[in-house]
Amino acid sequence: MSDNSLSVFLSRIDFAWITSFHILYPPLTIGLAVILFFFEWRWVATDDERWYRLSRFFEKLFIVNFGAGVATGITMEMAFGILYGPFSQAAGPFFGQVLGYETITAFMYEAGFIGLMIFGWGKISKRMHLFATFNVALSSSFSAMWILVANSWMQTPTGIVFKHGVFQVTDWVAALFNPDVMYGFPHMLVATFELALFFVAGVCAWFVLKRRHITLFARPLRFALLALVVVAPLQVYLGDGLGETVAHDQPAALAAMEGHYNTYNKDGSVNTGWHILAWPNAKGDGNAFAITIPHVLSLLETHSWNGKVEGLNSIKPQDRPPVVVPFYSFRVMVAAGMAMMLVAFWGGWLALRRRLSADTIAANPWFLRAVMASAFLPYLAVWTGWWTREVARQPWVVYGMMRTSAGVSHMSVPLEIFWLIGYMTFELTVFGGTWYFLAKIIRKGPDLVSPVAQDGHQTLGHIEDSGDHEPGKPEYLRPA
Amino acid sequence: MNALTQTQHLLTIVWWMSLGLSILLYIILDGADLGAGVFSLFVSDEDERGAIMSAMAGTWDANETWLIVAGGVLFGTFPFVYGSLFSYLMVPLALALWGIITRAVSLEFRHLAEKRYQRFSDYAFGISSLATTFFGGMAVGATLHGFPLTHVPNQVPTYVGGALRFISPFSIWTGIAAVIAVSLAGGLFIRARFEPEEDIRKHAARWTNYAFYAAIGAVAITIGWSVIIFPWVSGKWFGPYFWVYGIGFLAVLFAIVKMRAASNAERDIAAILWLNAAIALMATGMMWTMYPWMVPDTWTIYAGATPQVSIITFTLAMAGFFPVMLMYNWYQIWVFRARVSKLAAYGH
Repeated sequence: MSDNSLSVFLSRIDFAWITSFHILYPPLTIGLAVILFFFEWRWVATDDERWYRLSRFFEKLFIVNFGAGVATGITMEMAFGILYGPFSQAAGPFFGQVLGYETITAFMYEAGFIGLMIFGWGKISKRMHLFATFNVALSSSFSAMWILVANSWMQTPTGIVFKHGVFQVTDWVAALFNPDVMYGFPHMLVATFELALFFVAGVCAWFVLKRRHITLFARPLRFALLALVVVAPLQVYLGDGLGETVAHDQPAALAAMEGHYNTYNKDGSVNTGWHILAWPNAKGDGNAFAITIPHVLSLLETHSWNGKVEGLNSIKPQDRPPVVVPFYSFRVMVAAGMAMMLVAFWGGWLALRRRLSADTIAANPWFLRAVMASAFLPYLAVWTGWWTREVARQPWVVYGMMRTSAGVSHMSVPLEIFWLIGYMTFELTVFGGTWYFLAKIIRKGPDLVSPVAQDGHQTLGHIEDSGDHEPGKPEYLRPA
Repeated sequence: MNALTQTQHLLTIVWWMSLGLSILLYIILDGADLGAGVFSLFVSDEDERGAIMSAMAGTWDANETWLIVAGGVLFGTFPFVYGSLFSYLMVPLALALWGIITRAVSLEFRHLAEKRYQRFSDYAFGISSLATTFFGGMAVGATLHGFPLTHVPNQVPTYVGGALRFISPFSIWTGIAAVIAVSLAGGLFIRARFEPEEDIRKHAARWTNYAFYAAIGAVAITIGWSVIIFPWVSGKWFGPYFWVYGIGFLAVLFAIVKMRAASNAERDIAAILWLNAAIALMATGMMWTMYPWMVPDTWTIYAGATPQVSIITFTLAMAGFFPVMLMYNWYQIWVFRARVSKLAAYGH
C-alpha cells in the first residue's frame, strides 16, 4: 500500500482520534492520585478535618476522570490489533510484551487498589486506606512508564533485529532503556504532575473567586502554586532534553518540527535560522514564507552558535514527514509551557509577598482568573506535544524500520469510516459526560457535613432522612 | 520460523494456560455482573436497578481487569495470534467494546445523573451488558471456526478475508448461549448480594429457575453442534481418550446438580461456587480439546507465540504479579461482601 493512500490516512486518523481522546484522562489520574495521597497523608498525620474534606472532594472528580480513562483505554488495547494488525504482529515480541507488563504491573495493580480507595472509606482502617491511595498513585505512574517505554521504542528502536518480518529482541536492556525514553518518560510524568497541579489550582481558584469555602481552598491553592514554581521550569528543562534527543536520533522529525529544509545556505554556510512562523511551499522543498531569527536553531538543538542541523532536503523525499502539523503543534506546546511557567512564577511572587493566605487571597481576582485559564493549558500542551511526536515520526510506525503503510490492517475505506464515525460519536459522548459531571461536582462543592470516615469494618445499613436534595427519599449513609 | 527451545515450548504452554485462566476468571467474575445487567432490563423498580449497580460498584472494575490481563498476555506472548485474530474479529470486538465502555460509563455516572437521565442510563447499562455478552460469545464462536491467513515468505501470516466473515449460524448461536449462561450467573449473583427479605431476591429466584433449564439446553446444543461441525472436536472426544472426556462430562453434571441443590437450599455462595466449578471444568475441557491449536486450523500455540518467550519475564509475571493480583482481588470481594438492600441505590 502506498504511504499516501486514503486507507492508510484513515487508519492514522482513526488511531489519532482514539489516542487523542484517551490522553485527556490518564494524566489527571496519575497526577491527581499523587495529590490525593498528599491530602490524605496530611489528614492521617495531623487529623485536620479540612484535608479529609479536600480528599473526598477531589476524589469525586478523580473517579469521574478515572472512569472515562478506563473506558477510552480499553478501546486502545484492542485497537492496536484491530487497526494495526501487521504492526502488532511484527512488533509483538517487544511492544506487546511491554504493553502486557503495563497491563499486569500497572493496570491490574491500580484497579485493585482503586476499588478499595473509592469504596473502602469506613470499611478499612485509615492506614490501610492511605496505603491503598499510595498504591493507586504508584501504579498509575508505572503505567505511564511502560506506555512511554513502548512509544519511545517506536521512536528510537534499539536492542532488536528486524528479521523474517518480526522485531526480535536481542538486548532487552537496550530496548527498554532506549534513547528516547530517558527524557520521554520524565517529560510525560512531570506533565501529569503539572496538569494535575494546575487542575487543582484552577478548581481552588474558582471557589476562592466565588468566595465559597475560602479557608478550605486557599491552602491547597497556595501549595499547588508553590509546587508549580519547581515543576513548571523542570518541565521546560526536560522538554529541552527531549528535543536534543530528537535532534540526535530523529533528524527528519526535528527538521519537520522546525520547518527546516536546507542544512546549508546558498553561500555554503550552515543554516542556523529558526522560524517563528512559516508555511511550506507547494513543492514541499522550502518555505513559502517564514519569519526567521538566525542562530537560534543551532543554539536550541546543539547549544552552539553555528552548530549544523540536518534539513529536510537531505532526507529522501519518500521518507520526509509532514511539516505543518509538527511545526505548529510544537510551537503551541512550547508557548503553553512558557505561559504556565509565568503563571507559576506570578503565584510564587504573590506567595512570597504573603498575598495568598486565606485572608488576602480573594483580593487578587485577575491572578485567580489567570490560574483558572491555566487549568486548560496543560491539556493543550499534552495534545499538541503528542501530535508533534507522532506526526513527526511519519511515514514510519517504527522509526526507520517499518513504514506505517506496512503496519496497518487491510481494511476497506467504508469500514474505516464506519469505525471513525462510531468512535467519534462515542468518545465525544464520554467527553461531554465527563465535562458535565466534573462541572456538576465542582458547582455542588465539597460535602462538609457527613461524618468523617473512621477505622474499622463498619456494617452497612444505617438509614436516615436526607433532607437535602430529594425530600422524602431515604439517604443511605455510612454508619458513624 | 518455529525455533523454540524445549524450555520455551514448556513456557508457551504455561502462558497459554494462564491466558486461559485469565479468560476463565473474567467469565466467572464479570459474567455475574453482565448477567445482573441483563437481569436489570427486567426490573421495573428504579431503586432496585440502582441497587444492582451499587452491589457491583466496588468490584466490577477489578473483575473486568482480567479481560485486560487476557489481552495483555495475548499481545505479549502470542502477538501473531493477537494481530491476525483481532483483524478477523474487528466488528464483534468493536461492538463488545462499545458495550464495555457504555456499561462502565453508566455504572460510574448513574448516581451523578438527574432523575430523568437515570432511566436512560439504566437502559444503557442493561443493553450494553447484553451487547457485550452477545458479541463476546459470538467472537468465541467465530474463533472456533478459524480463519484464513496470508502465506508470504519471510512475513508473518496475517488475516485475509472480509470484515463480516465472523458471522455464521454457529457464532450467532454462541452469542445467544453466552447470554443464557450469564443470565444464570447474574441471577445467582443477585440472590447472593441482596438481603434475604428483599423482593428482588424472589424475582431473581424465578429468573434463576428459568435460566437454569435454558442453560442446560444451551450447553447440550453447543456440544452437539460442535461435534457435528468440528472434526477436531469429534476426533478427540471419540478418540482413544474418550473416557477422560467422559469423566469430565460426569464431573460437570455433578457440579450442576450440586449447584441446583445449593440454590434451592438458599446457600447462595455455594451455588455460585458450584456454577463456577462447572464453568471451569467446561473451559478446561474445551482447551484440552483444542490443543495444540490456539485458533483451530489456524494457529497452533507454538506458531502463534513470540520467539522471545523467556523464563525471566515469565517468572516475573507468574511468581510476582498473578498471585498478588489474585490476593487482592479476593481481599476486595471480601471487603465488599456484605449483602445490600435496595436502599443501596442511594449509596456511594
